[in-house]
Amino acid sequence: MARDRLPVVLERYEAVIGLEVHTELTTLNSKMFCGCPVEFGGEPNTRVCPVCLGLPGALPVPNEAAVEATVLAGLALNCEIAPFSQFHRKQYFYPDMPKDYQISQYDLPFCGLGHLDIEVDGDGAKQRVDLGAEPYATRIGVTRIHLEEDTGKMIHVGGVEGRIAGADHSLVDFNRAGTPLMELVSEPDIRTPEEARRFAQKLRLILLNLGVSDCSMEEGSMRVDGNISIRLRGETELGTKTEIKNMNSFKALHDALAFEIVRQADVLDEGGRIVQETRHWDVTAKRTSTLRSKEQAHDYRYFPEPDMVPFEFTPEWIDAIRVRLPELPDARRERFVRDFGLSPSDARSLSEDVEFSAYFEEAVALAGNSLAKPLANWALGDLSAYLNAGPVALADAKVTPAMLAELVEIIDDGTISGKQAKQVFAEMAESGDAPGAIIELKGMKQVSDTDAIEAAVDRVIAANPDEVASYRAGKTTLIGWFVGQVMREMRGQGNPALVNETLVRKLG
Amino acid sequence: MSFDVSTLSARAIRDGIAARTFSAAEVVDATYARIDAVEGAVHAFNELTPELAREAAGRIDAMVAAGEPLPPLAGVPTGFKDNMNLVGTHTTCSSKILEGFKSPYDCTAVRRLLNAGALPIGKCNMDEFAFGSSTENSAFGPTHNPWDLERVPGGSSGGSAASVSAGMVAVSLGSDTGGSIRQPGALTGTVAMKPTYGRVSRYGVVAFASSLDQIGPFARSVEDAALVLNAISGHDDMDATSVREPVPDFTATLGDGVKGLRIGVVRDMLELEGCAAEVRSATEASVKLLEGLCAEVGDVDLPMSQHGLAAYYIIGPAEASSNLARFDGIRYGHRVAEPSDVLDLYMRSRAEGFGPESIRRIMLGTYALSAGYYDAYYGTAQKTRTLITREFEAAFERFDVLITPTSPTVAFKIGERAEDPLAMYLSDVYTIPLNLAGLPGVSIPCAKCGTSGLPIGVQVIGKHFDEATMLQVAAALEGALALDMTPPAFPLHRRSS
Ligand SMILES: [Zn+2]
Repeated sequence: MARDRLPVVLERYEAVIGLEVHTELTTLNSKMFCGCPVEFGGEPNTRVCPVCLGLPGALPVPNEAAVEATVLAGLALNCEIAPFSQFHRKQYFYPDMPKDYQISQYDLPFCGLGHLDIEVDGDGAKQRVDLGAEPYATRIGVTRIHLEEDTGKMIHVGGVEGRIAGADHSLVDFNRAGTPLMELVSEPDIRTPEEARRFAQKLRLILLNLGVSDCSMEEGSMRVDGNISIRLRGETELGTKTEIKNMNSFKALHDALAFEIVRQADVLDEGGRIVQETRHWDVTAKRTSTLRSKEQAHDYRYFPEPDMVPFEFTPEWIDAIRVRLPELPDARRERFVRDFGLSPSDARSLSEDVEFSAYFEEAVALAGNSLAKPLANWALGDLSAYLNAGPVALADAKVTPAMLAELVEIIDDGTISGKQAKQVFAEMAESGDAPGAIIELKGMKQVSDTDAIEAAVDRVIAANPDEVASYRAGKTTLIGWFVGQVMREMRGQGNPALVNETLVRKLG
Repeated sequence: MSFDVSTLSARAIRDGIAARTFSAAEVVDATYARIDAVEGAVHAFNELTPELAREAAGRIDAMVAAGEPLPPLAGVPTGFKDNMNLVGTHTTCSSKILEGFKSPYDCTAVRRLLNAGALPIGKCNMDEFAFGSSTENSAFGPTHNPWDLERVPGGSSGGSAASVSAGMVAVSLGSDTGGSIRQPGALTGTVAMKPTYGRVSRYGVVAFASSLDQIGPFARSVEDAALVLNAISGHDDMDATSVREPVPDFTATLGDGVKGLRIGVVRDMLELEGCAAEVRSATEASVKLLEGLCAEVGDVDLPMSQHGLAAYYIIGPAEASSNLARFDGIRYGHRVAEPSDVLDLYMRSRAEGFGPESIRRIMLGTYALSAGYYDAYYGTAQKTRTLITREFEAAFERFDVLITPTSPTVAFKIGERAEDPLAMYLSDVYTIPLNLAGLPGVSIPCAKCGTSGLPIGVQVIGKHFDEATMLQVAAALEGALALDMTPPAFPLHRRSS
């Protein structure tokens, strides 16, 4: 409902949105300040040690790989890397926080100002009424990226749906406590829910390409919170903002922000005033509701973490991280267009995922750049359909890049038809046999022998005098029917192009 | 064989075991016999660990039987301040809030000392969470000074100091945040040193102020202190503030004398109002003695260091308020019965568990870090700290070591300063600047007070990571003084337990 009213609201109001994205660095071997492994789930309190339990006397030792991963992310997002940075303690009491302070960063984060360029097209572009609904690109500023430790998890027992209200006791699972958590704060440069979604999606792609996280919104390894206010178009003063939490998918992010824009507009239109507060997105009810109103300015009593020495990154050290930057999706897409002649949209689809693009490139390397286009079609067509349909991941797929390359080469040299190739692909995916072997085994070789084709065409013409007469009288659409008859005569193995050509010549 | 474990040095005990004059097991027996005789009057220990000691002694005796070379502190009875974790013992920090807490892991320094052959005799009493200079702030009652049972042994490592002074252990470990090793060392007539910040791992010692805390030894001789320092020094992967500086053999240069060494007397500290006349004259006498040994002696003023006390009472409590947040009744230690909700659980568990001085420091520190006060208090204190560090650096361009008194007074009476926190805080006026600057310092006994007969300590301050020169000077002075620091016999009563 709110979504339906969004276009109308956006005619009058402009939204100002900033995002805070927390990403667990799930690909690291150990937690932020101890040697415990980083994994999701598991028996409660089995991946803990004196450090992440905050036992008396235990000390944090920073995980250098986590620091490097954060700087790598900063470099990928064009951030300034701070020559001097340090951890601070953020202090508040909560049972899921073993030390009753969180080691985080305050005024000296690892990464400062940067940006991320996003593209918006399709229906989403219409939300920018000021830009006339055309596809557009825009730059979203990144304020900072810092590193901190995640908390444990509370389990409330005895209430409804595990919520704290009504529970008679609570348990704490510290498995997650101390997981490296990277927090990115964007500038309030986002103007529409669609831009927020594109920003988060693109950020996820980049972080996946960097290999620093599995970025699972469902499992909570990527969590996006939004700060949002609205103002009348043309107004330069900022409105009062609310913070939206619990947006556990990209759709939730979009829908929650859309709801909130409409809600705030309704409040203002009724002469009300926006209350600065934290609101919770209820995905079932499709609405936000007050989680807590702005507490009397929580004083976290930040101070420099005395258990660790500050970080001083030299230009040489930063450069050593920079050379580890992999090719990012945007650059890869441009290269696919330039080197392989792919369409921008195919190039984008092929370039986003690290493994998928590597698979594609391996096949192109084997088959040659001239076959990149048909390879792209197969990768985005049958291969993607196969991967999307089944439980098999790309890494486990029986169809290897070499097999796909071979298949495309066999089609190209005319040995089999495209239709036959689809059967071969299905067979490959099932058995893992090479296409050549499958074609051999099934006797699927496409017949390009002109004598055999001419003989078959002659037999079909002789057997169907009425249709031949109609065709010659001008009903040339019958050509398809003739091709079908010849193919049946040849048990599907005739080269369709040659069959067509021979028919046209003999009927004409 | 007969031997008096209460007077033997660590080296003599190890050598006696190696020579099969006595066994490690006999050392354990003699140690607990001595403890039985004097601990009731002194109360240096919160917990005794005879089973652990016998187990360790058994390993040493097996090595002797097998003819294996013995580690440097083999069979040396050792006490550990009760803020250091040792598996199989409680870690109480002399606080009710750690009721029942037994650590599942070892403090690195403790583990290193045990690996060097030391026998764990017990856990020593202290001011609660190391907040204090008298060991009166203990939930388990005060420790008494073996030189005069009516007096405090100093603090916060008073139990560690008294256990060595009273001959119950040969060496012990304490922790020093503002003087908590050196000041009780001075008050009990023991050798007591704080190494350079970062020299010894802090892993497994319950943190008071992370940027100031350092573990160090008590001993009855400079050489024994050096042996302990040898064992506990060096980088630890578990402490990000421990450094990778090379660790020399600190005993190697003890006999090198002071000829040609430049020794600076911190004149303005010596002239400080509140420094007892006998302390001042004992310090002067020590300097004269060093001069007589051909040291080059000169004066230096450290005016900025006089602000150390003020800076310390911001930084120390600020860090402490944060470090002590974890004692919340959720995972271990004291938890209030029947809390109405989580906030009630926190507030009442902490109010019941912490003693008054702990609560005072937590409140001081929380206030100093609060929004609107941070810059004025914590920010200013950190700037002061930087200035003090620079002042020392400048002094060390002219001198190899510096000399001050350790404590402005001799041991005071139990209860005398208990109601006056500010007077108590002044006990550490000479020791605190070193913690702020991260410098090493050692207190050695330099005299007995003419009127009371109580020990007086002098503090030798070294450059960063130059404990060797500092100990060299201390050893020369110790040799020249040749004091007998055995406390006078005191009326013994059996331990009540
Ligand atoms: Zn851990």
